[in-house]
Order: sequence, then C-alpha cells, then structure tokens
Amino acid sequence: MMNTKKALIGGAAAVGILAAGVVPGLAHHSFAMFDGSQVKVFTGVVTRINPDANHLQIFFAPLDEARQAVLRNDNGEPQIWAVEMNGAAQAAQDGISVNGFPPGTIFSVGLHPLRNGQPGGDRGESALYKCPENTPPAAGEHCWDLPESTSHGDGEIPVEGELEEEYNPDQNG
Amino acid sequence: MDFYSFFAAIENSAIGTFVRETLNALPIINVFHVVGLSLVFGTIFMVDMRLIGLQSVSRPVSRVAQDLLKWTWVGFALAAVTGLLMFAANATTFYVNLQFQLKMVALVFAGLNMVVFELITARNMAHWDNERRTPPAARFAGFASISLWVLIIVLGRWIGYTKGFNFSAPPAGDLDLDNLFGAISLVQTAVG
Repeated sequence: MMNTKKALIGGAAAVGILAAGVVPGLAHHSFAMFDGSQVKVFTGVVTRINPDANHLQIFFAPLDEARQAVLRNDNGEPQIWAVEMNGAAQAAQDGISVNGFPPGTIFSVGLHPLRNGQPGGDRGESALYKCPENTPPAAGEHCWDLPESTSHGDGEIPVEGELEEEYNPDQNG
Repeated sequence: MDFYSFFAAIENSAIGTFVRETLNALPIINVFHVVGLSLVFGTIFMVDMRLIGLQSVSRPVSRVAQDLLKWTWVGFALAAVTGLLMFAANATTFYVNLQFQLKMVALVFAGLNMVVFELITARNMAHWDNERRTPPAARFAGFASISLWVLIIVLGRWIGYTKGFNFSAPPAGDLDLDNLFGAISLVQTAVG
C-alpha cells in the first residue's frame, strides 16, 4: 500500500516537472498589442523593475535630448515609460535584474510601442546598453555610444522611425 | 510601517531572487500551485456538495468530511508554500495588483466560513449527520465555500493578465528625478 502511494506521488511529481519543462520557451501573450512597424529609441533612468516571470518590464524616465534632465509632461510631472522583454529568469541571464538595474540606472533601448497609446512597448530585437553609473551620454547620444557601457542580451542598435518590414515574432512560429 | 518597503525586502530576499532568476523555477512552482489548488477544490467541492445535499447523501456528513478533508489540507499546504514562493519573486508587483488583493480577501472569507462552520454549525452535527437535508446554516456554508473557491480561482488566473504595464505602481527606492546627477545638474544650472 505504502509503495503504491509513493509511486503515485513520484509519478505525479515527474509529470509536473516534465510538463513545466516545455512551457518556458513559449511567449506568454501575442505580440498584437504592439505596433511592430514603429521603433522608438530611448535613453532613460530606471525607476522600477517589474521582474515578471513571463515578461520582465523596466519602468524608466526618459532623458531629454541634452541627457541632463528627465522629460516632463504638460503638468510638469516626469514621464514614465516601460519596456517589456523576455521573462525574469531569461533576462537575469543577460544581467537584467532587480539588483542589476537599480533605480537611477541609465540605459538605452529601442521599443515597439503599445497600440493603445500607453507609454510602453516591447524590446523586440533591440540591443540594450547600460551606461556607467551616474554617467549619462553626451547630448543626442545613447549608452551604446559610450565605450564603457555594457551590453545586455542580443540585439541590434535600434533606429528611430518606421520599419520597412514590420517586426512580428508571432509569425515566426 | 511602510508596506511597500516591506514587500520590496521580500522581493530582494535570497529566496525571492532565487525563484525569480532560476530558469524554469517559476513554471515548475506554478505547476505544483495548480496541483495543490486542484486537490483543495476537488475535495472541498465534494464535502460542500454533501452539505448542500446533492452528493453522497446516503453517507454521514462526518464520514465524507473525514475521508476528504485531510486531502484538502494537503492540497492547501502545497498551494500555500508554492504561492508564497511565487509571491516572493515579485512581491511589489503583486502587492499593488487589485486582483491579487481581492484574491487574498476571498481567501480570508473562505477561512472565516470554515471557522464559523466548525465552531458553530458543526457543534450539533450528531443530530443531522445522517440526514439527506442538512440545516440551512450547513447548506449555506457549503454554498459559500464553493462560491468563494471559484472566485479565488477566477481571481488567481486574472492576476496573470493584469500584472503587466502597471503605470500606477510607485517607483522603487528613493530616486530624485529633479536632481538626477547631483553635481552635474548643479554645474548645468551655474552655466546655464
């Protein structure tokens, strides 16, 4: 009787672990909420990380063109944007984590903006660079223009504007 | 007491960081959370249906409860431990998530419903243990229990679709966006 119970519990555990193993490679939601034809490029200051299991998000205050102060809305409040990428565990492999990107970290990234007009987007295939501590890039430049910056994860240096070929990871299976 | 700092500390704990940054840890923990929850709901549903009078009516209520509730507690322990691990990985986000807050409230009510049943309604169970039709208070307890657990499941799944892009969440840490680079800003002011 005891052996049957052990076998049952062991079997259930094995099935659970096997089932979980096939899940993480898949994206959690469709890319449809983002506009894959547009790219916006930012250099900003981290205000908060949402280390979500499915899609880590970095919330940040974009810096102005002079790279000396944060952009503000009409009410004078700092604008806050969010960039979404792969899950927290995968991002951590690239050094993107709560501890690796504390509030105040200056970084540069490109994103495909949300279609609903909210100030957020998906990183897509953009490179992500972190500036040295408390060292913003020169006016008009980004962290990838500073030799001391560090690169986090794969990606290409993004270019602001409309893409000739729309980015859509959903179509690539 | 600053709750946000408290939850930030949980998030930054070794266990929270381990769960969050270990490949596949969260999906595996989540699987066992669902297994635990399935045990809880599956077993408590049968006990509640006996209380309502729709299932196992030829058997005493006490016997149905005795057979099943031990597995409810096994499932609850599994769900609680895995739930705490998942919470620790991203505590600040869950803390400000309305669906998570409502789920915790529903859990408290499910607990209160159980306590009221055990301490008051079940005191004279001997009188109605073998009856097909239980007293109104017992039927209510069964109905409330099923309703609350369905609500907990709904809210639990809903969390997964509401915890992204929350622009109302407060910034982490003390960041002075008015004076980002200290000395640099001062120089700019002096020059400009």
